[in-house]
Amino acid sequence: MSNDDETPKADGGTASQSETVEDGRSEEHPLEWDEPENNDKAPDERDSVSHRTEKYDDRKLVTGQAKYTADYEERYPDLAYAAVVRSDIPHGHVTDIDTSAAEAMDGVDAVLTPESDAVPDTKYTSAGQSYPEPSPWDMHVLNKHVRYIGDPIAAVAAEDRATATAAVEAIEVSYEEYDYVTDPEDAFDEDAPQLFEGSEVENEIVGHDYDCNRMAHIGGELGDVDAALDGHTHVHETEWETIRQSHANVEKHTSLAYTNEDDRHVLITSTQVPNHTRRQLAHLFDIPIRDIRVTKPRVGGGFGGKQAMVVEPIPLALSLATDRPVLYEASREEEFYAMRSRHPMKVKARTAVTDDGDIEAIDIYALSNTGAYGSHGMTVAGNVGSKPMPLYSKVPNARFEADIVHTNTPQTGAMRGYGAPQGTLALEGHLDEVARDLGLDPIEFRRRHHMEVGDLDEIAGMMGGEGANRRIRSCGLDECIERGKDAIGYDDLEQPDEDHLHRGIGMALSAQGTGVAGDELGAAQIMMNEDGSFHLQVGGVDIGTGADTAFLQIAAEVLGCDEDDIIVKSSDTDVTPFDYGAYASSTTYISGMAVKKAAEDAKARILDWGAKLLDEPVGDLETGDGTVYSETSGDSVTLEDIGYEAAYGDDEREHILGKGTHCTEESPPPFAAQFADVTVDETTGEFEVHKLVVAVDCGVAINPGMAEGQIEGANHMSYEMAVSDGITLDEKGRAEVADFDEYGLPSATETPPIESILVETHEPTGPFGAKSVAEVPTNTVPPALSNAVRDAVGVRIREMPITAEKIKTKLDERET
Amino acid sequence: MEIELEINDVERTVEASKSDSLLDVLRRNGYTGAKRGCDTGACGFCTVHVDGEPVKSCVEPVTKVRDASVRTIEGLGEQDDLHPVQQAFVDNTALQCGFCIPGMIMRSTALLETNPNPTEQEVREALSDNLCRCTGYKKIVEAVLDAAERMNSDTAVAADGGQAVDGDGGAGAGTECSLGGCDCMEGDQ
Ligand code: FES
Ligand code: FES
Repeated sequence: MSNDDETPKADGGTASQSETVEDGRSEEHPLEWDEPENNDKAPDERDSVSHRTEKYDDRKLVTGQAKYTADYEERYPDLAYAAVVRSDIPHGHVTDIDTSAAEAMDGVDAVLTPESDAVPDTKYTSAGQSYPEPSPWDMHVLNKHVRYIGDPIAAVAAEDRATATAAVEAIEVSYEEYDYVTDPEDAFDEDAPQLFEGSEVENEIVGHDYDCNRMAHIGGELGDVDAALDGHTHVHETEWETIRQSHANVEKHTSLAYTNEDDRHVLITSTQVPNHTRRQLAHLFDIPIRDIRVTKPRVGGGFGGKQAMVVEPIPLALSLATDRPVLYEASREEEFYAMRSRHPMKVKARTAVTDDGDIEAIDIYALSNTGAYGSHGMTVAGNVGSKPMPLYSKVPNARFEADIVHTNTPQTGAMRGYGAPQGTLALEGHLDEVARDLGLDPIEFRRRHHMEVGDLDEIAGMMGGEGANRRIRSCGLDECIERGKDAIGYDDLEQPDEDHLHRGIGMALSAQGTGVAGDELGAAQIMMNEDGSFHLQVGGVDIGTGADTAFLQIAAEVLGCDEDDIIVKSSDTDVTPFDYGAYASSTTYISGMAVKKAAEDAKARILDWGAKLLDEPVGDLETGDGTVYSETSGDSVTLEDIGYEAAYGDDEREHILGKGTHCTEESPPPFAAQFADVTVDETTGEFEVHKLVVAVDCGVAINPGMAEGQIEGANHMSYEMAVSDGITLDEKGRAEVADFDEYGLPSATETPPIESILVETHEPTGPFGAKSVAEVPTNTVPPALSNAVRDAVGVRIREMPITAEKIKTKLDERET
Repeated sequence: MEIELEINDVERTVEASKSDSLLDVLRRNGYTGAKRGCDTGACGFCTVHVDGEPVKSCVEPVTKVRDASVRTIEGLGEQDDLHPVQQAFVDNTALQCGFCIPGMIMRSTALLETNPNPTEQEVREALSDNLCRCTGYKKIVEAVLDAAERMNSDTAVAADGGQAVDGDGGAGAGTECSLGGCDCMEGDQ
C-alpha cells in the first residue's frame, strides 16, 4: 500500500490533510456495526419510512403557490435589479472601464467596477465546500485580469431589468489582449499562454504548477501496477472523452440581497449550500458570520451547479452600494457561458489481465479541463478514480492519477456524479472492450471482480479520500445485475428482420459514495407544540429532491406521530441548525440521521412525560399512532395530552425539544447496474435506443416514489451525456450555446423509456438502512450505450457524444 | 398603457408597456406560478392558456391578449382542492423541483381538453415543448395518463385521490415568520 504524504483527500475533503492507513485496519473498520435496534425495522413495522408519502411541498408546487427566489420580487417594492458586464475576450487585462454613459442613464443606481469600495478585493473560490476549502482561491468578484469569455468585470443596479441591461450595454471596456489557450492538452505545456502566476493564487492545491497551467496533480497506488503491466498478461489501453455538460438548471442562478433594520445582511438565494455561502461571504466582505443570513426558498434544481457561491457576492455588493434590496437573476445565456459546467475530460484506462481472465491491475489517468478557475478541480478529478475503481475490489493492483489544467474556457464545477461519470465511462467501456477481446462474457467478467459485502475498500483508500478503507456492509450488485438483465431481456434479444439493422445490449456498473467520509456535518432540532404537533428545523437542503419529505418521514417514524403533524423548516442559517449542504449524495444519510437523532432525543422526553402521566416505567412505553402507549398495560396517552401537560402542567413544565447532530467516517457506496438496448442501422450509423434499465441498490428507500424519480431523472441526465454535444465552444472558448433550443436536453419525445428498479439492501450505518441514490445512476448511460453499440455492430465509440456520424465512420473504416 | 383582459375568470385592467410580454404582466400582477426559464419560447415553463390554447407567455406580446381570457396555474385547483391533473401529478410523485410543473400542468390540461384519451406517445408529443431537468419525464407522462383516466371516470378525485389531503392547507402557504416581526420570507418557502 503506497501512501504518499502529499496525497490530498481527493474527494471534497480537505486538501491540506492526508491520511495514513495503519496496519490493523480490519479492527478499525470492522464488518460488525453497532446498529441501534430501532434502525433495522422489518418492512411491515415501518409506519412512515418506505411509504410513498406525498412530497411535502407538492401542493404548493402544483398550484403555483411555491416561492422561488425570483418570486420574492413583489415583496420588495424598493427592489433594484442587477446585471453584469462580462469579458468579451478569452484572455487579457482590462485597461479601462468607461461607465460614464451608464451612470448618466435614468434609473441606474450604481455601477461597480473592480475598484469600487463595495467590491471586495479578497481572493476566494466559489466552490461551496467545507473548510479549509479544497479549492484554490483564484477568483475575484469582479476582474481586471479576465481569463474567459464570461468573466465578470462590472455590475450594475437599476430600477428595472431593462434599464440594467441597457446600462451594461452602455459600459465600454478596453482590454490589453493576451494569448489564450482553450485545449487542455495544448495548455498543459510550459510554452502555452499562462493563466496564473503561481504567486497570484492563495490556498493552492497539491501538485500545482502554474507554469504549465496545472492547478493540481493527484494520484494514488495500491500494489505495484507497473510490475503487473510488465507481466505475462494481456494489456489493454483505451482512451475516452466526455462532454462539457451544462447543469441546465431550470431555475437560473438567482439571488436577492438586502440589509435589514438590524444592519444584518440577508440573502434569499437559490443555493445548495447556505452555511458554506454564509461563511464564504463573511470571508469575502469581512463581515462577521453572525451578521449574514442565508436562506433558501424553493430551488429549481441544483445538480451541483448551486454547490457554489456563483452569483451571491454581486447582489450583496450592489445592495451595500445602493442601500436597496437587489435581485440578480442570471440570464439563460449566462447560464451556459458564465456559470458552471461538468469538467470535460480525457481519461485513459489500462488493465493487465491473465489468460484466465483475472484482472491483475487497473490503471487510470485523467486529464481534466477545469476551465479558467479551479473550483472543485482537484476533488472532481479525484472522484474519477475513487468512485468507479473500488467497484473492482478483487483487483490487487490499482493506480489513479490526474492532472487538472486551466484553459481560457468557462469555469467548471461540481455536477451530479462529480467525476464518477467520466471515470465510469472509461472503466466500464474499457472492461467491456477487454472482455470482448478475450472472448469473455462482459457481465461474468465483471462479476468475478466486483465488490461484495465484507470487502475492505482499499482502492478508494489509496487516494486517501472518501471512504478511505471503508468496510462494505451492504451490496446488492448481484441482484442489480440479475434484475436488470431480466428487465432488458438480456438472454432473449431478438434481432430485427432487416439485414442492415442490428440490435445489441450494453451494460455498465457503477458505485458512488454517500456523503464525504469524515467531512460532513448535519444537524436538526425538533420542537413539540402543546397540541402534539412538531416543528422540525433542519439545516439539510432540499433543492427539489424531496429531502424535506424524507426528513419528515424519518422524524414521524421515530416519533410515532402522523406525518401531517410535522412542520418542516429547512435551510435558513438564522433558524435552522448547521449543515454542510446538499452535495456528495449526503442529505438523507447525514442530515437524515441528524433528524433521526433529534427525533429520538425528543422521543425520550415524550416517553418521560408519558411515564409520568401513565404512571408506568419508561421501559414499558412506546410511541405510535400519535400516542404514548404501554406495551404491558395497553394504556395510552395522546401526544396532545403530553404536549399540554409539558407546557402547562402544575408542578413541572418543559418545552420538549430534541436535538441531533451527525457526522461520520463512513460513506457507504450505493450501486447501479445499467442496461441499454439499441438498434443500429449499419448503412447510416443511425441508432434507436429502445430502453434504458437501471437497477439501483440505495439501501432502504425512505420514499420509493421519490427514489425512483431520482433514478429516472439521473438516467435522463446520463443519457444526455451519451448523445448530446453539451456546451460546445468556438475557437476562442466562447460558448456556442445560448439557449435551451441550442442545448441538447432531451425532450419527452427524445428520451427513451427508462425503467428504474429499486434493489433494497439494508445499510446499517444509514438512517433506517438508507444510503444515497441520486448520483449513481448519472454515471452509467454513456458506457452502457457505447457497449450496446459495440454489441450491435462491433464498433466502439469512445468519444462522447455517440452520434450516427461517428458510428458510420467507424463502420466505413472497418470495411476498408 | 392599459390592457383589459380576463385572468382566471376575473376581469382585470393591467398597466403594461408595449414591449411587455404576457409573462411580464402576469408576474408583475402576482401570478408568479408561471416561471421564466428562458424568455425566448424555448422551455415551456411559462405556459398558460389564452382562450383555451396553451401559449408560451414569455413570447406572447401583451398587446395580443387584449380582451382575451387567460388561465394560469393559479386558476386551476387550490391546495386543498386540487384539479385532477394537479392531483395526479402529486399522487404519481411526478415532480421534483417543481419549476417546470406549472407549465407542464397547463400544457397537460390543454391536451386533455382536446384529447381526453391520449396515448403515451401523444402525451409525450404534447409535452415535447416543455422541458424538465429533474424527472426524465416518466412519472410526468404517467401522471397525465392517470389524470386522463380520472377525468374520464367521474368519481376520480374523491375516490382515488390517493394520499390524504392535509388539513393545514399545504405546507407553509402564507404562514408568518416563526421569528415574529421578521422582514423576510420565513415560513414561506
Ligand atoms: S420562459 Fe417562456 S418558454 Fe421559457
Ligand atoms: S421537476 Fe424540476 S424541472 Fe421538472
